[in-house]
Amino acid sequence: MWLTFRATFIRNLITMKRAYPWSFFIGHILNGVYLTLFAYLTYHYVFDGSLDSRFQQYADTGNYLSYVISGALLYTFSVSLLMIVSRAIISELREGTLEALLLTPSSRKGYFLGYLSQGFMRLSLEFVIVLIIGGFFGLTFSNVNIIGTLVVLLVFIVSLFAQALVLGGFMLYFRDTYLTQNTLFMVMGLVCSVTFPIEYLPNQIHWIGQIMPLTHGTDAFRQVFIEGASLSTVGTSLIWLLGLIAIYFPIGTIMMQKMERHVLEKHFG
Amino acid sequence: MNWINGMWAEMVKSHQHNFHSKMIYLSLFFWPVLLFITSYFALKPFDLGSTSPIAEFFDPDDLMLFLLTGYLGYIFFWSLVQSAWQTSYERQTGTLELIFLTPVSRLAFVYGRAAGNLFEAVWLFSVFTVLMLVIVGGMQSIVWSALPLAFVILIVSAVIWGGFLNVVFLFSRDASFLFTILEEPMEFFAGIRLPVAAFPVWGKVIAYIFPLTFVLEMIRGLVVEGKSFTELLSPFAWLVGILSLLFLLTIILLNKAEKNAKETGNMVLF
Repeated sequence: MWLTFRATFIRNLITMKRAYPWSFFIGHILNGVYLTLFAYLTYHYVFDGSLDSRFQQYADTGNYLSYVISGALLYTFSVSLLMIVSRAIISELREGTLEALLLTPSSRKGYFLGYLSQGFMRLSLEFVIVLIIGGFFGLTFSNVNIIGTLVVLLVFIVSLFAQALVLGGFMLYFRDTYLTQNTLFMVMGLVCSVTFPIEYLPNQIHWIGQIMPLTHGTDAFRQVFIEGASLSTVGTSLIWLLGLIAIYFPIGTIMMQKMERHVLEKHFG
Repeated sequence: MNWINGMWAEMVKSHQHNFHSKMIYLSLFFWPVLLFITSYFALKPFDLGSTSPIAEFFDPDDLMLFLLTGYLGYIFFWSLVQSAWQTSYERQTGTLELIFLTPVSRLAFVYGRAAGNLFEAVWLFSVFTVLMLVIVGGMQSIVWSALPLAFVILIVSAVIWGGFLNVVFLFSRDASFLFTILEEPMEFFAGIRLPVAAFPVWGKVIAYIFPLTFVLEMIRGLVVEGKSFTELLSPFAWLVGILSLLFLLTIILLNKAEKNAKETGNMVLF
């Protein structure tokens, strides 16, 4: 497994240096920055800082800008991570290297972890840039619970990884990335408390938000990062995230295996 | 009539190209609707009562109507960006050379593509808009007689805008980058979600770069506020100015690109 991990890591590092479409990278950052910037403009210039009375109660904070900026931060992070992992196999298929990959006895676990850890280099760079820009527009750093934030982010990353495996399975099934991924991202933008608390939505669609790691990830992140709450206060969100991992991970693994066979039959049969 | 043939052929082609799979309805219908709903709820955390600072520009109770007209205009323009983005495949797969070898009018090709994609892309969202109007009850405040004029303005501007984008995407290596940079500012500054009048001066300056700003001002003026055409002459003049500029640029770029291609055998201009 570690051999595959290293090999994938090194290969992707070389790809990133030589042939990575950097417009993706800038696109992801811009996405987060625009969400931040337009929230700031709307809040300060158009509405003069007047909020709806229910916001405080729904969001557990009266700080709209910190709320939206942390939402934007984790949203861009999730989109990037989901894209990196879920597009792995289908990119091999498109570039013609899938056959070679399937012929080797390499461990799939090592392969995906290698993909993720290499992608993590870009991810953290994006994260830090959006975080710094967010700081200029009103994200507060004064109460950060550092250990809590790191724990929340770690669990969140694992849950996104599990979700990405399921997404990747769907992509291979539809043999499409553009429509599948963007549909998911748009749904996430609506139901995951990114720019407004989920409570504003009708009750009937809350469950869609509940099955997305991003909803619980942003909830927990806001508590520990903005409010400086201890880990015990975000226990429910963490349990949700762990539960989602327990569901998505096996489903994703099985789907990936099935889809590999499906693709093999369809393309090389 | 050579150019009508060319335009029609291009419309049929892009229809067959786009509608080979039902998945297209995701991007044609589901995405715009999601986008609309998301921006509706994204305004909810703000004070939308009668004391809100925004109340001096429009009645917050009409927010739904305001957003609906805004997004209708936006979808017209946005669907063309998407189709223009796909035009670049034409160059990558080499079929663009074939088209340029035929005696078809280049302009007909560019505008045929824009027009063909436009009608197919927007009818679903237009139906959605009407349905929403019936549900939320904005029907009575609409000036029906102004509707045809509003649609003509919307369609003509969108097609000219789309033709320009087609040309830009045809001759550049990676114009999707431009799309990434400009798409969201257009959604924010063109007055789709919030009235341009509520922006600070520099915000208004940015808004006036986008033809959509004036299109929306005209549509809302004519259809929602019931103004007469003469009251809207100033945005109309701006709109005509910007569109003529875009039209001129389209022709210049097309000629330049073709000349360049003949000399260097390379379709890429920038």
